[in-house]
Amino acid sequence: MTTRVLSPVKGVLAPITEVPDPVFAEAMVGPGVAVHPELTAGDAVSPVDGTIVTLHPHAFVVATAEGAAVLVHLGIDTVKLQGEGFTLHVAKGDAVRAGQPVIGWDPAAVQEGGKSPICPVVALDATAESLVDVREFGPVEAGDALFTWQR
Amino acid sequence: MADDRAAKILAAIGGPDNIIEIEPCITRLRCELEDGSKVDEAALKAIGAHGVIRAGSVVQIIVGPEADTIASDIEDLL
Repeated sequence: MTTRVLSPVKGVLAPITEVPDPVFAEAMVGPGVAVHPELTAGDAVSPVDGTIVTLHPHAFVVATAEGAAVLVHLGIDTVKLQGEGFTLHVAKGDAVRAGQPVIGWDPAAVQEGGKSPICPVVALDATAESLVDVREFGPVEAGDALFTWQR
Repeated sequence: MADDRAAKILAAIGGPDNIIEIEPCITRLRCELEDGSKVDEAALKAIGAHGVIRAGSVVQIIVGPEADTIASDIEDLL
């Protein structure tokens, strides 16, 4: 079974090692990539078809029908913003399509607040080898394929 | 991780008296403790933690996407 994982935001795709948080950079919860978002307000979209299984103002997890769970985190240490500046477009338990808006936010405001707006996209509990066809690092649009997850 | 992981994690971070605050964040438990030195990192790893990040009295336990559930289970034990 393979799952194509799309970019939740527009920006510049980078290795996950650029994320200033060891949980992501060291792939403690799974491998993935990261997107330096364009610094304009907009929506983060779902990377896959599935169900919203975890939802915070600053992060969410979408699980596919086959059980592949993808984590999108909007910025680092953004839990401390306590939801300010983030707008939820869905609820926990909702079915979403890949590309559907999940959370509205403003990466520029996050950066002005002294936090990194980088967005890790993580294949939860995947092995590093299971991510294939990883997109070349560089500019990316929301909805572009980032990698394929083989399970 | 087994179902009694909340109790085991609580024991491994020094028990209820050592907890100032526990906050879940998607994949991790951010624990603010009275005494960070009471954390038994080996025990946490044995329970199934992916990692433990310590900074003085603040300890982050990387438990995976069930952090929210585990945190509320621990709250129930306090």
